[in-house]
Amino acid sequence: MSTPAARPWARRTGPGVEAVLWRATAVFRAVSCAYAGALIANGYGEYRYPLGGLAVFAVMAAWTVVAARVRGGRLFGVADVAVAVACLLATGLVETREHLADGRPNLTVSWVAAPVMAWALRGGARRGVAAALAVAVPDVALRALYAEVFSQTTFNGVVLLLMVGVIVGYLGRLAIDAELRMARAVALETATRERERLARDLHDSVLQVLALVRRRGGELGGEAAELGRLAGEQEAALRALISAEVLAVVPGPRLPGSGDDDGGTADLRALLRPYASASVQLATPATPVVLARAVARELAAAVGAALDNVAAHCPPGTRVWVLLEDDGAAVTVSVRDDGPGIAPGRLVEAERAGRLGLAQSVRGRVRDLGGTVEIVSAPGQGTELELTVPR
Amino acid sequence: MGGVRVMVVDDHPMWRDAVARDLAEAGYDVVAACGEGRQAVRVAAAVRPEVAVVDLRLPDISGVEVTRALAALDPPARVLVLSASGEQEDVLEAVKAGATGYLVKSAARAEFLDAVARTVQGDAVFTPGLAGLVLGEYRRLAAVPAPAPDAPRLTDRETEILRLVAKGLTYRQIAERLVLSHRTVQNHVQNTLGKLHLHNRVQLVRYAIEKGLDTP
Repeated sequence: MSTPAARPWARRTGPGVEAVLWRATAVFRAVSCAYAGALIANGYGEYRYPLGGLAVFAVMAAWTVVAARVRGGRLFGVADVAVAVACLLATGLVETREHLADGRPNLTVSWVAAPVMAWALRGGARRGVAAALAVAVPDVALRALYAEVFSQTTFNGVVLLLMVGVIVGYLGRLAIDAELRMARAVALETATRERERLARDLHDSVLQVLALVRRRGGELGGEAAELGRLAGEQEAALRALISAEVLAVVPGPRLPGSGDDDGGTADLRALLRPYASASVQLATPATPVVLARAVARELAAAVGAALDNVAAHCPPGTRVWVLLEDDGAAVTVSVRDDGPGIAPGRLVEAERAGRLGLAQSVRGRVRDLGGTVEIVSAPGQGTELELTVPR
Repeated sequence: MGGVRVMVVDDHPMWRDAVARDLAEAGYDVVAACGEGRQAVRVAAAVRPEVAVVDLRLPDISGVEVTRALAALDPPARVLVLSASGEQEDVLEAVKAGATGYLVKSAARAEFLDAVARTVQGDAVFTPGLAGLVLGEYRRLAAVPAPAPDAPRLTDRETEILRLVAKGLTYRQIAERLVLSHRTVQNHVQNTLGKLHLHNRVQLVRYAIEKGLDTP
């Protein structure tokens, strides 16, 4: 039945599926009761005990009112079936044997399907079928033992009751479960969003403090300057982490069940973000630069190799700027450092001498992507690499 | 007295005080220091700052809104955005709303004071990061399925200069490389922001007219 988790949600957003189904059952019960009443009024003069027919209708009407107000638990469900069966069996006292043998319906007509629906809603298809049998067996017994006939109509009635039990039970559960799952998903999403917001706020204030420590520490000098430097490193690391977290989710098709480089896409900004540090500044567009995942990875790796090259060949304290541009037809990443620069011819010389660092790790990667690398450098002016990959 | 009138808007009390102290020590007249956006807009209307140093993340309205309000004052306050995390879209929005400069909070004191001095002069303060954002924004405007005829465009020279700024060259280095005067480089950079700002205002007005907000 409705678990505590489902209830508050159902209450908050108006009647849930379950409430609607229960209301439908109550309406069905009332309409069936009215129909049975009409039939009883119609056959009033032909009954063996006409007043008995009236009494049965009174009981049915009273119970219909009670059942509309009390949804109840298992005990009420048992009483529900008991009342239905009692009213059904009362047909044997009120009706004449001949009428029943003729195939006249029971006094209760379709009213007995209501407790079956209630059980199906309460406990699914299995309970629904059990309730249907509990009602059908007395019905069949009445026909077979009292009227001594077993007609097609009786059989149809039994089949219809069983179908009500199965279908209402199955579909009702399905709808209620779907609603519950939906509610859980909504709750989860809300919680996740809230957690993200908290993390953002927390990160922001931590960043502020780190930036402040760095700034003040640098001014005070001595040991404080060392603290300031450490704070600065942590600030850069944290900022890179946050940006990576925010940007890592790239909308785009992911083929299920395939491997890693599966034709999915990636935002190149998110892949470059981890390179940012106190000495490496990153400039990117505000909107995602979406590439095939494999291409984005290779290009990011080439940028990483270029940065490694700066670290290996330039004095400490050299600053690097990485610029990412996307003009629709091609993606360009520029890596510029303010190091001592490379003398003309030295790159070619190095390449010829078999020292393949820059050539292999940057040029090779970009060439494999169908792109080009341009190197501009002069002594004293730093080095600039421009990696361009067509889309 | 006689100092330039500066206002500080930052929700972090330690930061607000540190920035205000730095500015006061450098000879500026710090006329107000606010921790909330709406308060800042109200106070600014009264104290008429010439320059405002604004944090983007505020508890009530965003720094972008504050920037818009300050830039709409008469005479407008020049806005230097100072932000902690690289809130990319926000920085771009602030520039479109009329901010003329952007600096990360981890910038050194000297760098910060230099940025304020340039903002006072009416010069644009660009970090390489901001140049990258502005370049991206112009490309986005040009690439939208059917670019509007009045969408702002960069001249080749402006693109060239913005790219060099984004690659970390100083205005002086750019002037040397392109054989231009320092002032010319400055003006080109300024224009790129001015056009974005103007476009943004035109769009806001157009939106207002479409929605019938221009008539009382």
